[in-house]
Amino acid sequence: MAPAPSPARRRFAAGLAAGAALSLAVAWLLLGSERREAAALGEERLATVSAQALAELAARAWERREALPAALAAFQAKARGVSAARVVALSGARLEASTFEADARAGAAPRRLARDEKPIFDQGQRLRAAVTGNREGGTVGSEIEVERRARGAIFAAAPIEAGGQVAGVASVESVAPASLGGRAAEAGYALAALAAALAVLALLARVAGERPVALGAIAVVVLAGALAAFGALSVRALGRASVALEAGVAEHARAQAEAAAAALAGAGLEASGLAPERWDVDALRRPRAGGGAAGAERVEAGLATIARNVTRALVLLGVLGAGLLLFVGFGGARRTWRALVTYRQAYAYVAPAIVGMLVLVFFPFFYGIAISFTDQNIYNQGRSLLDIWMGFGNYATILGDFGMVQRVAEGGYALNYQNFYYTLLFTIVWTVTNVTFGVSFGLLLALALNTKGLALRPIYRVLLILPWAVPNYITALIWRGFFHQQFGVVNQVIKLFGGTPIAWFDSPFTSFLTAFATNGWLSFPFMMVVALGALQSIPADIYEAARVDGASRFQQFRAITLPSLKPALVPAVILSVVWTFNMFNIIYLVTAGEPGGATEILVTQAYKYAFERYRYGYAAAYSTIIFGILLVYGTVQSRISKATEAA
Amino acid sequence: MARGRDEPTHLPLHLFLVVTVLVTVYPILWVATIAFSGRQSLAIADVPPDPTAWDRLRAVTPWPAQWSGANFVSVFRDQPFASWMLNSAVVAALTTIVGVALACTAAYAFSRFRFPGQRVGMMSFLVSQMFPGTLMLIPLYIIVVQWLGLGSTRTGLVLIYATTSVPFSVWMLKGYFDTIPKELEEAAVIEGAGPGTVFWRIVLPLAKPAIAITALFSFMSSWNEFILAATLMNKEDMYTAPVGLRFFVGGFSQQWGYFAAGSIIVSIPVVVLFLYLQKYLVSGLTAGSVKG
Repeated sequence: MAPAPSPARRRFAAGLAAGAALSLAVAWLLLGSERREAAALGEERLATVSAQALAELAARAWERREALPAALAAFQAKARGVSAARVVALSGARLEASTFEADARAGAAPRRLARDEKPIFDQGQRLRAAVTGNREGGTVGSEIEVERRARGAIFAAAPIEAGGQVAGVASVESVAPASLGGRAAEAGYALAALAAALAVLALLARVAGERPVALGAIAVVVLAGALAAFGALSVRALGRASVALEAGVAEHARAQAEAAAAALAGAGLEASGLAPERWDVDALRRPRAGGGAAGAERVEAGLATIARNVTRALVLLGVLGAGLLLFVGFGGARRTWRALVTYRQAYAYVAPAIVGMLVLVFFPFFYGIAISFTDQNIYNQGRSLLDIWMGFGNYATILGDFGMVQRVAEGGYALNYQNFYYTLLFTIVWTVTNVTFGVSFGLLLALALNTKGLALRPIYRVLLILPWAVPNYITALIWRGFFHQQFGVVNQVIKLFGGTPIAWFDSPFTSFLTAFATNGWLSFPFMMVVALGALQSIPADIYEAARVDGASRFQQFRAITLPSLKPALVPAVILSVVWTFNMFNIIYLVTAGEPGGATEILVTQAYKYAFERYRYGYAAAYSTIIFGILLVYGTVQSRISKATEAA
Repeated sequence: MARGRDEPTHLPLHLFLVVTVLVTVYPILWVATIAFSGRQSLAIADVPPDPTAWDRLRAVTPWPAQWSGANFVSVFRDQPFASWMLNSAVVAALTTIVGVALACTAAYAFSRFRFPGQRVGMMSFLVSQMFPGTLMLIPLYIIVVQWLGLGSTRTGLVLIYATTSVPFSVWMLKGYFDTIPKELEEAAVIEGAGPGTVFWRIVLPLAKPAIAITALFSFMSSWNEFILAATLMNKEDMYTAPVGLRFFVGGFSQQWGYFAAGSIIVSIPVVVLFLYLQKYLVSGLTAGSVKG
């Protein structure tokens, strides 16, 4: 026997290494992107401060604008990181001063803006509209515009307020400083946490000996500890970075204020009383952090949010890492690897299809289920799922609302067509009626076509299959046209017999009839073909024998025909139940749920929530429930069909 | 059912069948009527202000007042229908090639090899058929449009169609591969053929009919697909034919002439294919669900 380390211990060490590496690596990537985002926001804040400084400078010089070109040049020379600056007056569309290279081409400032410089003027109009709009209440638009330009430059524009209104625009192009808010230390923390975890496990494993369960428990605890330590360190680092960033912005504002004061003094204008702490604002020109207690509180709150998100992500990653750990630790990985090697030929054949299915079928499926636990909608689409996680909230809303019947204003009661249970009930009615019709009518036609010696049989057969052959979206659209109140053929026929035309899509029942007619028309051929095939395989001499025994035709049908049809019809019915239940095209294109969602089935309702109301999370939960229903149906159905096969 | 020697008269039966056939083909005749009427309107024969029963009967009879091919010409000339058809054709053809290639190898492995995960694999293919389309649409949109940047491209559609066609194709092909005697392959192996040679030279040629049918099904289903194409193809010139046809008569647009002419052009190939294939479809579908 070899001495230490034993196989079980080695496996758990490998498992811990793999699990910790996975979760730490992902956490490190997430934190990195968080940090980059924070840095980008910091750069934009610096650019905003510069633009605000120039705006204040211009506002003070507004009565003596001839001094602006010189003042602007002086400001740029002393200010930090400003590569070009421009001041535009809105009245008269004048370029008052500019150091942008592009502006020099049409002549030196001050001058009127040229025609192809209209975007500059438009920006000013936009800012002015935003400022007045926001002042009057409501959020109309951004009062500060920041955009990223080529080679890392950032462009920022701020409104110049003179005489109580927006008189012009100050814009600044700045280069981003090399680093803002300290260097990233997470990589070091991650490596340290990994190494420490392995070392601790090596020590503790001696206690556990060879018992896999004890080893597994220890390894999981060590992993949790490593992640917690990494999380705490990283949150502290992020906190330090955030404090450094605030200090950096404040320092930047002071420097720009000095530059502005110098420029103002050079132009012989009032240079004292600049308020650099008010320059650090968001897009609506609300102060971001600045100094003071309120600013500190905001910074604090921001840090708390970061800490909460980091914790949440780490818990999730920890579960993932622990799963991997236990998989490797209990020998799952080794067995998988062995199987992969032993059956490599089979796996090679299956791999392309499986990979494709994993990426474009199974991954979307599970991603969809993940979305169902969030509040994703069109407004927060870009945010990570963890930020908008809401647990079983959507499911509770959908399944917990039993208000199928609502009291209406006039005092009576009305069905609530948006209620899940109403739609479920409608879907069941829709499925049962359609399948019943399809089976009975298909069977009837099959029996008719199976008559011995019937002339023209092949022609009937081909013509009756046609509805199944025509693409069903075409069928659906043409039937919708048929039921058009004014031009539709159906109403013309009603008028032909002296009736009054019907507004088909105005009441739930008639609307249902339109979809039922369409689906009935296109679904009976399937049943007919299936039944016909089964009928033709019944040997004729069985009937002969039955007749000799004196069985009536009805007795023959019950004793011979129906039992022989069963093996073919049962799977066909099962299939057509699923098809009808999910018959998206017919409902979506024929009734479109009219009136007011009364004729919506579950799948079309889910689609509408996703692509008309843009409630992606809610729609995903809705779809997941549909999947659950189908899954239950499938399991029950296969149990029953197995039982009947055995009988 | 047959009555034997006392020659029955089939007249009531014929009556029933003729009426059913008339009801069945009536909508199809209408499509043809609108297409050949040369007009855009859904009401082919205008009903005069004070109509007689005859006028009304004329209005519901699917027969154009005058025959004209104008709709067929102008759907190509005035509308981007040709490029929609081309999109549909390219997408359906590529889907078929990619989908069948994926399905052939997988079905062969599922039929011939015993390996861990085999049952799970086949079952998961079956279960995946139950995934509701709406649940897949949002993530697929995010993956294909936002992550891969393949929105409004044929490639995106082909990738999705090909993979989603795999389960059905694998079940069809596996059923057929199971019926090919193993002895043929064993004999080839004894003569020194490698596994690749056996697959390419023996199994695939023998399975040609089944592969052809699977391919035609894949072609048909992607040619007819509507929801995904409507969701992913946002640029008008990248529409597929189904999305384009909806464009003619969906919402407030009422260009029934274009719709009818386009429908006929789009339908003819699939209807012909379908009539040829339907017996395989029935056996394939019911076999799959019995095993499930």
